[in-house]
Amino acid sequence: MASILAFILAGGRVDELSVLTYNRPKSALPFAGNFRVIDFALSNLMHARIGQVGILSQYRSASLITHIGNGAAWDMHGHRRQVALLPPSKGQQDSDWYKGTADAVAHNLEFIYENNPDLVMIVSGDHIYRMDYKGMIQFHQDREADVTVGFIKVSLNEANRFGLGTIKTTKGHSGGRLIGYQEKPAQPQSQWASLTIYLFKTKVLLEVLKGTHPHTGREAIEFGRDILPNLVQQYRVFGYTFSGYWGYTRTLDEYWRTHMDLFGPDSRIDLKSWQIRTNLEHERIRERQPAIVARQAQVDQVLLTSGCVVEGNVRRSVLFPGVHIEEGAVVEDSILFFDTIIESGAVLKKVITDKRVRVGEKARIGGGPKGKPNRAFPHLLSSGLTIIGRNTHLPPQIRVGANCILNPYLEEDAFASPEIPSGATVS
Amino acid sequence: MSKTLVMLLAGGVGSRLNALVEARAKPAVPFGGNYRIIDFTLSNIMNSGLDRVGVLTQYKPLSLMSHIGSGKAWDLEGRNRGIKILPPHTGEKDSDWYKGTADALRQNLDYLTRYDPEEILIVSGDHIYYMDYAPMIAFHKRRKADLTVAMMEVPPEQAVHFGIAQVDGAGKIIDWEEKPKKPKSTLASLGIYVFRTGYLLKALQDPGAMDFGQDLIPGAIRRDAVYAYPFSGYWRDVGTLAFYFAAHMDLLNPRSVLNPEAWGVQTNLEEEGLQGDRSPVIIQKGARVVQSFLGADTIIEGRVETSVLFPGVRVGKGARVINSIIMHDCQIEAKAHLNRVIMDKKGRVGEQARITGLADLPNREFPGHLKEGLTLVGKGVSIPSKTRIQGNTIIRPWVGEGDFSGLNVAPGETIRKK
Repeated sequence: MASILAFILAGGRVDELSVLTYNRPKSALPFAGNFRVIDFALSNLMHARIGQVGILSQYRSASLITHIGNGAAWDMHGHRRQVALLPPSKGQQDSDWYKGTADAVAHNLEFIYENNPDLVMIVSGDHIYRMDYKGMIQFHQDREADVTVGFIKVSLNEANRFGLGTIKTTKGHSGGRLIGYQEKPAQPQSQWASLTIYLFKTKVLLEVLKGTHPHTGREAIEFGRDILPNLVQQYRVFGYTFSGYWGYTRTLDEYWRTHMDLFGPDSRIDLKSWQIRTNLEHERIRERQPAIVARQAQVDQVLLTSGCVVEGNVRRSVLFPGVHIEEGAVVEDSILFFDTIIESGAVLKKVITDKRVRVGEKARIGGGPKGKPNRAFPHLLSSGLTIIGRNTHLPPQIRVGANCILNPYLEEDAFASPEIPSGATVS
Repeated sequence: MSKTLVMLLAGGVGSRLNALVEARAKPAVPFGGNYRIIDFTLSNIMNSGLDRVGVLTQYKPLSLMSHIGSGKAWDLEGRNRGIKILPPHTGEKDSDWYKGTADALRQNLDYLTRYDPEEILIVSGDHIYYMDYAPMIAFHKRRKADLTVAMMEVPPEQAVHFGIAQVDGAGKIIDWEEKPKKPKSTLASLGIYVFRTGYLLKALQDPGAMDFGQDLIPGAIRRDAVYAYPFSGYWRDVGTLAFYFAAHMDLLNPRSVLNPEAWGVQTNLEEEGLQGDRSPVIIQKGARVVQSFLGADTIIEGRVETSVLFPGVRVGKGARVINSIIMHDCQIEAKAHLNRVIMDKKGRVGEQARITGLADLPNREFPGHLKEGLTLVGKGVSIPSKTRIQGNTIIRPWVGEGDFSGLNVAPGETIRKK
């Protein structure tokens, strides 16, 4: 098999995720209890036996650095296996921050030269999916492709949010020649959306990136926007089609909906068969005992993790390790991060709490009328979700409406009024 | 660095646990959803600040060795710390199997002296308890003892199972009886000893001393400074199926002090060569769960009450699991009912099967192992759909559907592979 080096694009800070990305990059965002979003890309690489990985990250990498550790969790630690975090470093020019995906790779050509792979795979660290990369690599080699790009079929009315490929598909084949590519076109002509999974012959990648090398001054910053549209004419470029579940976490709403996809008999997220690995050191996952459902509890469509204690009533919700729902509390359609405590009699509807949030007795959070988007960020929050930042403590009996954002680290005395109306932001 | 070396006796066969110890030593028997029995002792060692451990194994050590791994899970891996498995080895004589607790140490004198310890703490991996050994070691030093034995008060009817001591006002042991028929006191040995190293080495020179309780202590209390260190708190022997079951029920009782997480109990979650990590628990629509422990990666569509489910268990639609202990990756198919069942790993119960533990008669073949109204299902057993299994039954490991001769299994039966 060809030797392969992979890059994970894990850089972006995404304002769309509001206080959840206050101090972590999007790829380090927790998902489904034990995992972080980047675990999906890392596990896919592990299962494809790719053991040389560079992670391109520049926004608040601390939680990512801790999470990745020495890479042993994904079998990326050994004589010929490694995972390297590649933050921007000061080069010959003053400002060498990564300007985009291609620019980030172009800053790390050394990493490619050192390892001298046959192929370079570039994947996004932001998606929830299980894909057999080996199939795509085989496809790439069978077609003697220079470049292969992964695609998935999306509905035409949301296609304008993606990079779209025109693929000459033939029945029975998992893809074909890529003959066109447009980044987020206003009038979509195709339903094949890019998964941000690129496989390059190393020689071709180096040629392409010469044009974007930070010191040559040419403006080719993003693979999707600046490189792929022209690439299809110059090289043998193929589109590889994928038909499994693909969840994205770009906005609060998508992040919430992807979690809700965990439930139901037809759920297409099968965490067990996907064999996702994480680093069990983080948030003391390994030190916690099994989840406890108490005598008086009611649970229906709930994802539970170690260290959870449920004494109240929980429906359609995801409880991360160490969450405690006290007797008489009601939690619906919510995602509660590590060690959140919901005191007795509190009611939460459609709420995301970050780590170590505490909600006081008989508080009522969320569930108000959807009609009022968040006043400060109407484009981020209009579906009725309410978001509470980490370590914020809500006083007993407080009322908080829908589409609210409560900033991290607020103590009870920060809430002067007993009622926070829908659409408000508290800082 | 601690000046105390720990020797962990993990050789116990635990034969009264029957099918649960068919392929593993008693300390390796799974417990409480995430753990194995030995985790309680290993975690006590870690939480007492001790950092050198020798593990004496003998009986079916494979799962124990893979569980202990590098010792990292208990912070026993590093430049100044370590855990070492010490299996029996051939010496000058043909058969050098360990003949008892003292004999096991005698065969590892090299290891006992390698780190030049001041004291040697001897513990076993058979019990569920939390104890900080540091105050016991401090007690031992304060008394300038040769040997200190941890002891606790037990109910009179249980005293027959233990080494029983009488002590003077200073805690010095003045009388010792090993498993007495008519105990003179209720102060029982927990099998936890601290020895002054020099004293232990000398005592082991007596080639007749095979076992601490039987051979070594009775002589020692006449000549030497042997003290009882008083312990009180949760401590449970899980050496019988009834005790093992009762300890799990303690776990589910909110008023019990048995609380592994609060005790800082650690386990090794990476032992089994899993392709991925265990995913979270999923409770599906229509499921009902009350007063239960759920290990990672369990998926529940049916009903679970007062039960401990280990990782990877599936409970299908309309199935009922009540008062039961179900180990890793068992599948309980739709509409199957289980009550008072202990089920070892990787088993399968077919649709609409009914298994109860309740029965008036003990198991016929193993009346001493099973008479309390439980049914034991061994590892990898597959039970056909619609089978009815009565109480105090033992289904031995790897019994398949074809090994059942009918849909009804009478109380007290034992089923083996044909």
